Amino acid sequence: MELMGIEPDRLHFSWISSAESTKFVNVVKEVTEKVKAIGPNTHFIKNTAKVA
Amino acid sequence: MTILKIDKKNWAEGLTAAANTYRLFGPVKEKDYHQFKALEKGEMPDLDMINTRLSPKALLFPQSEAMLECSLDESRDDHHIMKEIVRDDKPRAVVGIRPCDAKSTLLVKLNFDTPDVQDPYWLGAYHATTFIGMACDTPLSTCFCTTAGCGPYHEEGLDMLVMEQGDAYLAKLLTDKGKAFAAAAGWSETADDSAAFEAGRKAAEDRIVSTVKTDNLAATDLLELHGAPFWEDIAFSCINCGTCTFSCPTCWCFDIQDEVHGKSGVRMKNWDSCMFPIFTVHTTGHNPRDAKAQRVRQRFMHKLKYFVDKYDAGIMCVGCGRCVRQCPVNIDIRRVCEQMNSFKTAESCAAEG
Amino acid sequence: MVGYTDKIKEIAGRLLKECTVDMVIGFRKGTMPMMNEPCFATTPEAVDSLVWDSNCGINLANYLTNRKEKVAVIAKGCDSRNIVTHIIENKIKRDQVVIIGVPCTGMIDKRRITDMVAGEILDVSETENTIKVKTADAETLFDKAEVLQQNCALCIHRNPVIFDEMVADAIPEQDVVDRYADIQKIEAMDIEDKWRFFDDLLRPCIRCYACRNACPLCYCPTCFVDESKPQWMGKGQDPMDVRTFHFLRAYHCAGRCTDCGACERACPVGINMRLLTRKLEKDCQEEFGWEAGLSLDQRPAMDVYQANDPEPFIK
Repeated sequence: MELMGIEPDRLHFSWISSAESTKFVNVVKEVTEKVKAIGPNTHFIKNTAKVA
Repeated sequence: MTILKIDKKNWAEGLTAAANTYRLFGPVKEKDYHQFKALEKGEMPDLDMINTRLSPKALLFPQSEAMLECSLDESRDDHHIMKEIVRDDKPRAVVGIRPCDAKSTLLVKLNFDTPDVQDPYWLGAYHATTFIGMACDTPLSTCFCTTAGCGPYHEEGLDMLVMEQGDAYLAKLLTDKGKAFAAAAGWSETADDSAAFEAGRKAAEDRIVSTVKTDNLAATDLLELHGAPFWEDIAFSCINCGTCTFSCPTCWCFDIQDEVHGKSGVRMKNWDSCMFPIFTVHTTGHNPRDAKAQRVRQRFMHKLKYFVDKYDAGIMCVGCGRCVRQCPVNIDIRRVCEQMNSFKTAESCAAEG
Repeated sequence: MVGYTDKIKEIAGRLLKECTVDMVIGFRKGTMPMMNEPCFATTPEAVDSLVWDSNCGINLANYLTNRKEKVAVIAKGCDSRNIVTHIIENKIKRDQVVIIGVPCTGMIDKRRITDMVAGEILDVSETENTIKVKTADAETLFDKAEVLQQNCALCIHRNPVIFDEMVADAIPEQDVVDRYADIQKIEAMDIEDKWRFFDDLLRPCIRCYACRNACPLCYCPTCFVDESKPQWMGKGQDPMDVRTFHFLRAYHCAGRCTDCGACERACPVGINMRLLTRKLEKDCQEEFGWEAGLSLDQRPAMDVYQANDPEPFIK
């Protein structure tokens, strides 16, 4: 995804057990902060199909 | 028939003037091949091109075309009601189209303009368009137009046919649309030189080295041909991509799709291909053309038999050779046509002894 | 590879005569310069139409998928690796296929050659190391090495990795300095340039799916782009849909692609979609030390879990 031009901070992977509530909260906070920092996605979006 | 002489020096000026009345389209080189596109202000069509990679059919029949739109916003009274999209059918002209591609529009018209049903999208674009053809003096070894119902100087489907003559172009005005375009371009010097067209045509036709024979297609029994033994061999290499159908100027099939984005929706038509397995899948899940050989047979039977029988207007092919050159696995319509045309049923063989 | 044709005919004829196989899959001479057509022979007489030269770039493993009969197939290095993948993925059984191995010195790039000469190419002939191109007014001689398809120039598995018959002795493998210089160049771009680069690369796409259909890996009964229940993506020419098709297809080939080049060769508008598949090939090699289709005994990288799989991207 990064090679194609999606900012690395926009896509996150995490492995969280249902028992790891603290980790879940921390990951969500971190993801939110990072995505807010890079701002709205301008690339990989489709509004109305672009057609002739 | 009026023939104009246009000094090459006045060509660009004329097109620029015509651009005030018409949106101009023409062949331009992009990356490593030519294609038809809307010309920017001052941009000139490249008349030296041999032919474009894709046919100009997209000018009248875009690969994806929005037909209707609607709003899904339930606070509006007209929500979920499909409405026609306002179309831009102001006059346009395609400059530099080859005679084979121009002829193909007439074959496609048979499908989109029938006594019972008319496709307003295709016809709207067709009537808005003036076709300025460029005679073809450098046919390729894969061109077989002269035996496919047209030729390098063929006039059917054109409003004006232009040929090169030294420092000038000669332009034959074939229709009122053609005359109107010449007037808009400010070209008025006449030349009584139909002999030049005749000589040009003869010379260009002599350069065509590739031919097909189609004389037996109509008389051959349809079901016998359908059951001919050669289809497995022809279809073996086919990978069922859409290259032949998408590059073909006469392939007209499309699929209708609805797309929704947030609170707005659009109904569009997209090119489809009989090579694709989903082309014929029923909603039950049954697919009457489930096997590759059936799909390959369909394409050639449609072009070289069903069309011939239904319209009595020759084959559904203008001999541009695009599918021959671009097929990734070298399935050659000339070879298939030869096999179909020379096919003899068991009965006729017996009759001949 | 000059002289392979006779040997191929001999092997194919023998296999059919002895009823070892029901069908031989190979190439016959094309109707255009630099094009051969995949074909089959079911009788010893029919093998006469088989040929071999530098225009056999289509991957014949593609024609083996789900076959029921006993088949012999002619295989270059890359094709043989795809046959291995086919066997691992249960698309054909090992004992059902006789592999006629071809040590391959590379396929020529018809697009590049067409660009390198003026005028229409009317005839192309070859010797072991040269390619002679004729147009109406000129004859040009190229070093074959100069006009190879890029994947062939970068190939490090020219000899079949699995075979039952060989048409010639194995040839030396190439020492390729850097297989991924072009990928590294894209990796080094900033994020905006990367996005624009692929925008530009994919703009000409007409969604004919020649790349997908020429690929032996793409054998799904219904591809995700064709699926309508549910419909995963739009079917029009919207650039986002075009991009989704290309990068998702590449993902589906991760750890399976042998860089045979069939996709790029098949593309009617000249898109190098191998830039996507090769990035994944590079990652598989760097992360898992994996190259696709080298052995029947190993499960593919994306098919197994190992405790030491690298996972720095998982937080």
